[in-house]
Amino acid sequence: MRDPRRAVTRRARGGGPWAATGIALLALAGPWVAPYPPDRQEDVAGARLLAPLTRAHALAAGPHRILIVTDLHRTADGWEFNRAGRRQTLAALDLAEEPARRFYLLGTDTLGRDLLSQLLYAARHSIGLAALCVALALVVGIGAGASAGLAGGLWDEILMRGVDVLMAVPRLLVLVLGGTTWTGLARLTRAETLAFRESGLAQAARAAGASAPRLILRHLVPQIAPLITVFAALRFADTIVLESALSFLGLGVPPPAVSLGDVLASGREALHEAWWVSAAPGLLIAAIVLSVRSAARDLFRLHDPPSLA
Amino acid sequence: MNRLQIQAKICGVTLLGEIRNTPELDPGKSLIALKWLDGCRWKHHYSGRFVERRNPGDSTLIGFVLRRLLAAILLVWAAATLVFLLVAAAPGEPFDELREPGAGAATAERLRQVFGTARPFFPRYLDWLADLLQGDLGTSWSYRQPVAVLVRDASLNTLVLAGPALVMQFALGLAAGVAAARSRRPLTDRGISAVAAALYSVPSYCLALPLAWLLAVRLGWLPASQMHSPEAGPLPLRSWLLDTLRHLVLPCVALIVPTAAGIALYVRDQMRAALGRGFVSAARVRGLGRREAELRHALRVVLLPVAALLGLALPGLFGGSVVIEVLFAWPGLGRLAYQAVLARDLPLILGCTCLMSVLVVVGGLAADLAAAALDPRAREAQE
Repeated sequence: MRDPRRAVTRRARGGGPWAATGIALLALAGPWVAPYPPDRQEDVAGARLLAPLTRAHALAAGPHRILIVTDLHRTADGWEFNRAGRRQTLAALDLAEEPARRFYLLGTDTLGRDLLSQLLYAARHSIGLAALCVALALVVGIGAGASAGLAGGLWDEILMRGVDVLMAVPRLLVLVLGGTTWTGLARLTRAETLAFRESGLAQAARAAGASAPRLILRHLVPQIAPLITVFAALRFADTIVLESALSFLGLGVPPPAVSLGDVLASGREALHEAWWVSAAPGLLIAAIVLSVRSAARDLFRLHDPPSLA
Repeated sequence: MNRLQIQAKICGVTLLGEIRNTPELDPGKSLIALKWLDGCRWKHHYSGRFVERRNPGDSTLIGFVLRRLLAAILLVWAAATLVFLLVAAAPGEPFDELREPGAGAATAERLRQVFGTARPFFPRYLDWLADLLQGDLGTSWSYRQPVAVLVRDASLNTLVLAGPALVMQFALGLAAGVAAARSRRPLTDRGISAVAAALYSVPSYCLALPLAWLLAVRLGWLPASQMHSPEAGPLPLRSWLLDTLRHLVLPCVALIVPTAAGIALYVRDQMRAALGRGFVSAARVRGLGRREAELRHALRVVLLPVAALLGLALPGLFGGSVVIEVLFAWPGLGRLAYQAVLARDLPLILGCTCLMSVLVVVGGLAADLAAAALDPRAREAQE
């Protein structure tokens, strides 16, 4: 048998808060943490597909010409270095400035951009988009579900059949992500509302003269908030996966914005030469999804310990 | 006051009860009280208002099936109409890339005439619906072939990929989940759960890339794309099969692993809950071995929701494998739909989505029917 005290430690040990903090930091701090601008291509040929942990230097070889080189050494009359797979030399006189350090923690992609900076910006974008989708879905889903459950009758029938139809349309082809995220939430809220409607709490509130919006916002939502939070967290993870899949296929956000799926797609093109360009965004997506899901699981345990413990 | 003594058998325990107020059961009016004999003392079980009176004729399987089938047909029609609306309302002309860059307005007008998009929306929709009812899905704009043929061939290819994947997902997920739940060492349970949780979080396309890099690019053991090798046509049957099998491995593994891990987590939780239920202890007390009690009694309860999951996984495998099919250039339904979207090939998009909607509805229906056939309580809950 399990030690009954274990349940308590299990609750306290959950990594939910840490995961949430990490993701919020990832989304907010990206531009300040990123070592370089995400779209900076100083020297496409020289910085192309450098491996992770590469120490490189940027040489200003002219007014508009920067060379990204590795293994830089000073010789008697200038510099000697590796660039684009070849050993080259450059006279010291040709250099406009002193060499500047470049450190690529996660390597570079096919266009010579720093992968870490790109990932930080892409994660910010993906997380923000998913959060927006889930926030919209929360408003629409709770509104639709609660009104269907409270009003019942024809309105309920219309809304729920609409949800059925939306769920039957393939998700990948309904390109509006927020268009389908709310359906599950609406179903869940409706089921909870039906139970809530008969409860003493609802009857007392109605007897005190509460209007329908007040009944929903002040009495129903606090009741179902724990369940909705867990559900929304799971939706958030799903939305990140789906949005990345869409961007990966080239059906996502338009070009100037970069999402994790776009980085992954560029990694697919470089797969024959470099593993890191696809591995890094893949791992990041997996880490985000894992932390969100485990946080949801912790939340669920907190509210409903016996069924899972 | 009227009192009526009744007897009920619930979960093998005989309950004695009485109905008050009314001579018969009357929903909303009758007060009902149930009690049971524990040793030699009567214990209170339930009292309250009798909620609902069930007509036994209503819960027959056939009526249930007919009602659900009718709803399913309506659902497919509504989904197809929604897709038609969405595609028709999408901005831009569907055949922009067919036109030469310098072509004038007259060419565009002629293209519109040829493809029939110049006509008003409503007659177009009615024609399409009439054709659909006769089984005619139209002709693809980009392939210049009947959509029905394209969709049929692609579905067969998808089936080759999705069928084995579906079976393996459930077999592996069930085995791992049951093993984790039954294990007596917490380390085994926690180990399996942690690995499953980690694998469940890796989307199939994120897993596919490193796999392809390692096994196809680095080691060169397996082909990384297509369904057959280019020279596979005239091969003898045996090597042709082997060739297809080799192409199948990478996409199949990428599809199996995340879903199997998810199923394992779910089965583990359900099984843990089932193992703690009274009937498993009761089976042990009756003299069954641990293995038999757990696998014959607890597992049976778990299999019920898993059967429902199987129905819900069906459309996911067809629709959800779009990325995998594109990634490995597998000529299946998902890739066809993707190419149709890129080419804005209206009849082909509609054909693919209609089939996928049918699959969603059929999957949900199959799940409900399986649940209803296996468990009479589900049949009653549906009403």
